[in-house]
Amino acid sequence: MTEYEAIIGLETHIQLNTTTKIFCSCRADSWNDLPNTNICPVCTGLPGVLPVLNRAAVEKAILLAAAMHAEVQPISYFDRKNYFYPDLPKGYQISQYNMPVARGGYLELTMPDDTTKKVNIQKLHLEEDAGKTKNDFGRRLIDFNRCGVPLVEMVTAPDLRSADEAAQYLTRLRQLLRWIGISEANMEKGHLRCDANVSIRPIGVDYLNPKTEIKNVNSIVAVRDAIQTEIIRQTREVQLGHKIEAWTLEWDEERNVLRKMRSKETEADYRYFREPDLLQLVIDEQWKTETLKQLPELPLERRSRFIHQYRVPEYDADILTGERSLSEYFEEAVVIYQGDPKRVSNWLMNDVMRLINELGIPAGELKLKPTYLVEIIKMVDDNIINNSIGKTLIEKVQDTGKAPSTIVSEEGLALVSDTRTIEDTCKTVIAQNPQPVSNYQKGKTGLIGWFVGQVMKQMGGKADPQLIRQILEELLKQ
Amino acid sequence: MELCDYPAYQLVGMIRRKQVSAVEVLESALKRIGEVDGCPGQLDGNNQIEPDKIHSFITLTPERARSQAQKVDHAIAAGEDPGGLAGVPFTTKDIYCVKDTLTTAGSRILSNFTSPYTATPIERIEAQGGVLLGKVNQDEFAYGSSSESSAFLPTPRNPWNTDCVPGGSSGGSTAAVAVGEGCFSIGTDTAGSIRQPAAFCGVIGVKPTYSRVSRYGLIAFGSSLDCPGPITRNVQDAALVLRIISGADPKDSTAANLSVPNYLSELQTPIRGMRIGLSPDYFKITYLDAQSGEIQQEDIPAIMKDAVYRAAGRLAEMGADIVEDVPMQQTRYGIPAYFVISRVEAASNLHRFDGVKYGYRTRQAVSDVHEMYRKSRAEGFGLQPKLRILMGMYVSAAQYSEQYYLRALRVRTLIRQDFNEIFDPKGKYRLKALLTPTTPTTAFRMGDIYGDSVLMQYADQLTVPANHAGIPGISIPAGFDLQGLPIGVQLLGNDFAESELLRIAYAYEKVTEEDEWRTRKPPILTK
Repeated sequence: MTEYEAIIGLETHIQLNTTTKIFCSCRADSWNDLPNTNICPVCTGLPGVLPVLNRAAVEKAILLAAAMHAEVQPISYFDRKNYFYPDLPKGYQISQYNMPVARGGYLELTMPDDTTKKVNIQKLHLEEDAGKTKNDFGRRLIDFNRCGVPLVEMVTAPDLRSADEAAQYLTRLRQLLRWIGISEANMEKGHLRCDANVSIRPIGVDYLNPKTEIKNVNSIVAVRDAIQTEIIRQTREVQLGHKIEAWTLEWDEERNVLRKMRSKETEADYRYFREPDLLQLVIDEQWKTETLKQLPELPLERRSRFIHQYRVPEYDADILTGERSLSEYFEEAVVIYQGDPKRVSNWLMNDVMRLINELGIPAGELKLKPTYLVEIIKMVDDNIINNSIGKTLIEKVQDTGKAPSTIVSEEGLALVSDTRTIEDTCKTVIAQNPQPVSNYQKGKTGLIGWFVGQVMKQMGGKADPQLIRQILEELLKQ
Repeated sequence: MELCDYPAYQLVGMIRRKQVSAVEVLESALKRIGEVDGCPGQLDGNNQIEPDKIHSFITLTPERARSQAQKVDHAIAAGEDPGGLAGVPFTTKDIYCVKDTLTTAGSRILSNFTSPYTATPIERIEAQGGVLLGKVNQDEFAYGSSSESSAFLPTPRNPWNTDCVPGGSSGGSTAAVAVGEGCFSIGTDTAGSIRQPAAFCGVIGVKPTYSRVSRYGLIAFGSSLDCPGPITRNVQDAALVLRIISGADPKDSTAANLSVPNYLSELQTPIRGMRIGLSPDYFKITYLDAQSGEIQQEDIPAIMKDAVYRAAGRLAEMGADIVEDVPMQQTRYGIPAYFVISRVEAASNLHRFDGVKYGYRTRQAVSDVHEMYRKSRAEGFGLQPKLRILMGMYVSAAQYSEQYYLRALRVRTLIRQDFNEIFDPKGKYRLKALLTPTTPTTAFRMGDIYGDSVLMQYADQLTVPANHAGIPGISIPAGFDLQGLPIGVQLLGNDFAESELLRIAYAYEKVTEEDEWRTRKPPILTK
């Protein structure tokens, strides 16, 4: 039987996190606002208004282009994409058509077998978002708040070969968008939207078959499920001798099924033409250079630098560079610590990560600053506190924002280094427990742990258990 | 002479010196409107009513005007600066948005639209103390050259002969200015819509360089061609108003970020030695034979050509160098290219009028939103918008765009090159201006051409090249034909050469000051 492979290309819409909209000065983020409160004559398309390009949106597009290794075009143009829709107030969307802000580029994916796959990007263009339509018992309600929110549309080449690869592309892209700080990239909130073009062909051939387009998928899991479902459907159709038609499909997330929205033959002619209300977009070297000063080291570069410079395992490097703030936290801590970076990594990955996940904030916003973390690690290293006090200190510093040394002295958490005090406590414990002592002395030496525990308890945990054990063993011999 | 007949630049001085109050000037203008204007245009109105009146207005705003005039008088009484147009009454074409005021663009589809904001040029005039009398009639969405296509009837009439059209699309503006309903009006010029009606009504019409004046608040027709500009009775007022409305605007990124000269003071510089060209290509009109598709050419009437030569002679007396036989070969393609480009932009600009957010919505029952669009637009738009939508959609469709739209854009570039060559300071002609007729004919009779959109368009043949090229043009009165209708001549100049064109116009106005035709008044004022 013929084996088929899937050919997948993704069209992503990325909402840029600018303060204001792309063509007017209304606030861009309306997530917590009532409908139609962030609007003005410009973004609602009143007669006579004109768009004025927000430079911040262009700068974020430049950053994205650089991060995708795409070529920023020195001159690009805006065009009108004409179509009627109630939430498109001008009856056309200002977009870029044949002269986009950037062309080419790629995103690298690490494959399960540790090879890297390059997913090529065809173009990146800037455009404005439309509003939202809500059906309300036969009425259409329109919210124009989202009109004019800046978007970058980024189209990949048909380079992806499975639903998992598509999901991985989106995961990587989302990480990158947050990393370079140009989008919140939250798919559920529509900051990152994805349409998938899917076709199949017999393995070994190099032609492309008609594709279907899956629209309106709003999570990475849903993208994977929708693509997988469509690959299975197309394979079954082809095996039955049917032709694949160029449909537009919609993913129903609740029922996990694809629904046909329309045939491609009825596709609109958008009658693109240059937007006469905007000048050509000129990005000169100076503007580009100035903008790219904000571009941080990218995740994959940082990952490999951590492996080489700090000798942390690949697994650690992966996690530490999963998010920019965490990677910066790690590096700052390593620099302060001066000791083995792996030790910092262990503390971060075990204890600090748990805190980050519980609080749902980036590492950089913790009250437990890298310098406090290092202070804790050093106190453990120097036996001023033990490991478990170290762990509780992490929580206490985060709760209070106080320096670890302050908490240690305020709460008297430092280990008792005076052997006389420890010896006295050990003697008390022995005196209070004649039976276990006798058992121990009869050969049940496993009880030593129990004795250590009793001493620790009486000392409030502020002693080195190793030392207690030594003293106890000495005393119990007698 | 009534107060409303004074030039703006004189009124400002009189008001500032407290010789008259802004309110007195306003009352004089309102009285004039009452005498000559007749009923304003209204939806489903009657075009035959009061055929001897001007009918410039759609919306009169006397209350707003009174409060503006009082503000000026109070400012003067308080010793404050009342602004460079203090107390000067003016009108605006109804294509400009004015806050809290009906703004219709002459269309049923906007017949209920009250703008929540004011267009930049109007805002600038009001900030300088200008007193807005109201909004004047025009062709629907500025689509026409006679003002007859307005949905608001009766449409404006020519003050020199009320059986004739005032021209268009800014016909309400030019008719109003000609009879003293305000000292000036702000129109728009997409193919000649300021200059052509100015010529028909015997007033001055300035189409500035594209981008010289902000388009913010102007209901767009052909966005790459539209130019706001002043219509006045004398050159000094044109210079005064142009300076106030020009300049960069944070709300229009296509508005030029260049400093604005003091046009008024520069008028005094003599024109001695300025090279002014005459082109044979502007003394004929070109049209396509409807059957064969062949290009046909015809000379314009001798009286129009003679007016240009007569004006050239007077300018030569003032020391200008007249350069004849300047070739402008692409002039003939101006109208066909304009047909395509303006309609593509117009069709797109009309998309927003869909009955969803504002404006007219059908009262019929509809089954879905598409039917609502169809019915609202079918009922709300008149014939001209519909024709332009059809044509615009056709020539920008994916399969025809290359053949029509993109080709028209290339023709536009060629038209621009004609001008580049004649204005090139190192080139063969080194012109400061080209002097041409503004229109092939004087005003035509109402109803004569209306309905033939192609023929109507040829009224713009001599004005449209400036819109393609983006260069400035001014139409100035230059006499009358045998029927007593005004003849206009046009001066075209290089980018941002408004000052030079105004200087030439002013020199001409001065040198012809004592001419008999200068003393004529529209008959409606002498009744």
